[in-house]
Amino acid sequence: MKLNWFTRKGIFYLPVTLIGWLILAIAAAYSVYTFIDIDGRSHSVSDTMINFVFNLLLIGLVYTVIGYFTEVRKSVE
Amino acid sequence: MKDKDDFLKQMENLEVPDINPTEHPKMVKMAILNAERSAALGLWLIVVPCYFLFCVFMYYFSHIRVGTSWFAAMFKLMESLEKTPGIAFLGPIILVVLPIICIIINALAITHVKVEQIDPQRSKRKEFNFTIKLKLLNILLILLSLAILLIFIAYVMTENISIKN
Repeated sequence: MKLNWFTRKGIFYLPVTLIGWLILAIAAAYSVYTFIDIDGRSHSVSDTMINFVFNLLLIGLVYTVIGYFTEVRKSVE
Repeated sequence: MKDKDDFLKQMENLEVPDINPTEHPKMVKMAILNAERSAALGLWLIVVPCYFLFCVFMYYFSHIRVGTSWFAAMFKLMESLEKTPGIAFLGPIILVVLPIICIIINALAITHVKVEQIDPQRSKRKEFNFTIKLKLLNILLILLSLAILLIFIAYVMTENISIKN
């Protein structure tokens, strides 16, 4: 089963189908939610940033793994 | 004189084995994975441990006068990441398993291994060919992942020794 949801530009995966855009939107929404959640429990700006960037990188990693397996493959001629 | 002529004739009629010296470099050495795709994923895999080590580095240098050691700084940072959901049990996995996956996918993208029989008459005479493609980004990612793994192994060993003492 071929899943052609993303295309790769350098190290980033860009969505090309509706499902791809949906996954990107979910990742962005979850990032905003975690920022608000972490900010609500933090005592300083650096405390928020250290935890949020860590979380953002993890979300980016999961998104990239999905993109890696559902990338549009270039056919070899 | 006659012997010399015979010898020359014999030499001229010698059968020369047909060897094509350009045949070997023409062999296509396919890797299992695509190097560019592996490098893209590999970068994301080690960016999390690299960010963690960068934070430790900053913490260590900002608290150096208090007498914090490098590994104590790592431990403190692990504690301070408690606001990230699930980091308590995900931490060791992220910091050890991700570099290992990075090493595997990048190694599969730049290496080619082949065992071939060099003499068809003798079945035991085999040749082992191991080729590494010089893809700078992939090699760099493998070396970085190895460095991260070594740091974490040293951290775990130091932590265990200090707990036992």
